Amino acid sequence: MNIQLLVSGISMGVVYGLIAMGMVLIFRSVGIMNFAQGEFLMFGGYFCYTCNQILHIPIIPSLILASLMMGAVGVLFMRTSYWPLRKAQTKAIIVSAMGASIALKEGARLIWGAIPVSVDKVADGNVNLSGAVIQWQNVAIIGIAAVLMVLVYLLLEKTFIGNIMQATAQDQYMSSLVGVPVIVSIGLTFGVSAMITGIGGGLLAPIFFLNNTMGTVAGAKAFAAIVIGGFGSVPGAIIGGLIVGLVEAFGGAYISTTYQLVLIYVALVLVLMVRPQGIFGEKIQEKA
Amino acid sequence: MKSTSKRKKLILQLSDVCKRFGGVVAADQITLELYGGETFGLIGPNGAGKTTLLNLITGIYASSSGTITLNGKNITKLPTHKRARLGIARTFQHPRLLDGCDIRTNILMGVDLANKRKRKGEAEVRKEMEMLLERAGLQNVNLEDSIEKLSYGQQKMLEIVRALLSEPKVLLLDEPAAGLNEKEMEYIVRLIQVAVEKEIAVLLIEHAMDLVMGICDRLTVLNFGHQITTGTPEEVQANEEVIAAYLGGGSNA
Amino acid sequence: MQSVKTKMKSISVPKLFLAVGVILACLAVPALSSSYMLRVFNMAMIAYLCVLSVYVLLGMCGQNSFAQAGLWGVGAYLTANAVLKLGCSSLTAFTISVLGTALFAFILGFAFFRLRQYYFTFASVGLMTILNGLFMNWTEFTGGALGLSNIPAFTIGGFVLESEVWKYVMILPICVIASLLMKVLFRSSMGRSFMAIRDNEMAANCLGVNSLLTKSIAFAISGALCGAAGALYAFLSGYLSYQSFTYQQSTMYLIMIMLGGTASPTGAIIGTLIISLLQEWVRPLQNYMQLIYGAGIMILMIVQPEGILGGGKAFYEKHIKKKKAYTPAE
Repeated sequence: MNIQLLVSGISMGVVYGLIAMGMVLIFRSVGIMNFAQGEFLMFGGYFCYTCNQILHIPIIPSLILASLMMGAVGVLFMRTSYWPLRKAQTKAIIVSAMGASIALKEGARLIWGAIPVSVDKVADGNVNLSGAVIQWQNVAIIGIAAVLMVLVYLLLEKTFIGNIMQATAQDQYMSSLVGVPVIVSIGLTFGVSAMITGIGGGLLAPIFFLNNTMGTVAGAKAFAAIVIGGFGSVPGAIIGGLIVGLVEAFGGAYISTTYQLVLIYVALVLVLMVRPQGIFGEKIQEKA
Repeated sequence: MKSTSKRKKLILQLSDVCKRFGGVVAADQITLELYGGETFGLIGPNGAGKTTLLNLITGIYASSSGTITLNGKNITKLPTHKRARLGIARTFQHPRLLDGCDIRTNILMGVDLANKRKRKGEAEVRKEMEMLLERAGLQNVNLEDSIEKLSYGQQKMLEIVRALLSEPKVLLLDEPAAGLNEKEMEYIVRLIQVAVEKEIAVLLIEHAMDLVMGICDRLTVLNFGHQITTGTPEEVQANEEVIAAYLGGGSNA
Repeated sequence: MQSVKTKMKSISVPKLFLAVGVILACLAVPALSSSYMLRVFNMAMIAYLCVLSVYVLLGMCGQNSFAQAGLWGVGAYLTANAVLKLGCSSLTAFTISVLGTALFAFILGFAFFRLRQYYFTFASVGLMTILNGLFMNWTEFTGGALGLSNIPAFTIGGFVLESEVWKYVMILPICVIASLLMKVLFRSSMGRSFMAIRDNEMAANCLGVNSLLTKSIAFAISGALCGAAGALYAFLSGYLSYQSFTYQQSTMYLIMIMLGGTASPTGAIIGTLIISLLQEWVRPLQNYMQLIYGAGIMILMIVQPEGILGGGKAFYEKHIKKKKAYTPAE
């Protein structure tokens, strides 16, 4: 077993897991796949770049600031591209999100330019582990992502806001009857989703440079993670993310780097064929 | 339809059909025989497994055990569409029409199914269609119109017309009269009459007792997936278990 | 009394005007456009064939696929290989593309339509990514990252359709024929079984429709359309690169049909024209082009979620045509 590949695979995997979690939160809340989630990652990365490289704020506060800004972007995104269409067919919402994805991508290029940029590492240097050279940044990513996942879990399960969000996700109409303001609840969901995804961008930036198309690629991988893990399941998103990260790392090293994305999607199609509902998903029984 | 004493042909036979969902038994050793030209009622409280039984006959659910025979042919393992082609037609509790299409397209779906067995001349089909639409009180509709222009009751009627146009051997009706007014109920009865004239075996799920007792030759009472009794309306009405199930004897409420 | 089948309706005057207008417009395009604009129209017509394939699959059969640009690529590479490696005539190559892509889609359909609804859509995203990866890396068939070049223009009876106008003259009738075939399909029992699946799959099964086979046929028909589009693209551009056949291109087709309206080929025409021309109109704005384009899609979707045709129809029924409901006959 190659420890170096394992660590880099897991660290990429947890970032995909973060994006996937963001997508799943939105899916559970409003029942649509957010096709612009990858762009949240890219924007988060650029916000972090602005704070860190332009305003010279240290990296950790930069990440937090970027995350807060992403929260606002998430709410704004919800208000503009989802809310007006909430009663339309799903297809229309998906197309609107696709339009938003193009607009965000180009907006980022106009603001920050097309030249790839980077941010400071959270943790510098390498560690030598029985011959394998491991970047501290990778270890930091895994740690921070794990903390975030726990925080989201606590937010959803243990807090009042979380309960409101879950109630709305289960039955919008009923929750509105018992006095939950649906728009606030859905807005919060989009906000939290954008926040966790955005931090992922700041974490990835030192390893892969930031550019305006990174979100699309990462989004495609996170999408695969969700399908593999089980559609609509939060633990499934994380496990799926890890699987995608590992397939990517080991497939890239042992099979071919050019076929990385192809390998991930071959895995996706295989999983679908064997178990359409994914690893953690529940089978949807059509009501007769 | 209560009628004649002429010799009838066995069409659909269920023997010991069971369906379990996990631990729940939704159909427990159901045994039925349906004859051509007979109207057979299926009654029972909500959740008794009536619709489940229709789903077992149409093949939407696979039965856990037992056999279903249509005209002497074992169809237990056949998929839904093959059963439909052999002559099992059904309607749904809430009409499931092609809601993006006009009335004509919906009617032609039934004709298409009949054509898969034996192609008929257009004149014959048209005569048939006109007769059925007239019986259903739909003779004045414009076939080009979207089905959204039809009332709920008219949609239910259209669904039966569609099923009859497919020339079935068995017609399964899932609560055809629910949500209809008196006048519309009459049309339903007229359509069932057509089916009986064509020697189709009709299986009718219905809560409206007047209707069931009035038109069924025989009926069976289901409760918790269990066949309590089978017999003529008079026999069933006199059965004590049935009275208990309906009037809430003990835990069966 | 009414006939079972639709009779030929007598052509109304406004429809006649519309038909004449469309024919005149089709004739005017090559006469009035620059060679550059004509290329834009030619590309739009090729895109239209792919959008038509989405119409069959999504509009009629209710199945959302993101693999259409991949099928388009399969068609294009089939033509290129048939011409360059096998030395086939143009017409043979075109036929190979149409039939080959249809067969390819049909077989894949049998595997992929075991997955229902959402799951099929996911798998189609996977298929698209895999196909794009193959186009990029399978050097013998696709020329790899360099692509395939020097594909000769369409040749028939020794006459080479080299100029842009001739290409227009070749592509337009194919689009018209494809649209008419879709109309025929719509009125056929096959088309009805597609729509039955779209509206309620279980009820369709109860009407004797075999879901797996029917959906696979729909996918095959969409494959044939994409194959034709691919062949035409190969002849038109003479050069193929994996960068054309991407997931983004597939989403573009979906956006086009959603903007126009999924209910008829007319929606596909409107959507394709709007997006193709929008891309050209915003081109002078260079830097802001994609931004405006993306925001434009969003706004159009919010204003017209049913598509332009759907929205227009609803407006017509609400304000112009008087609604009449039926009362049960006495």
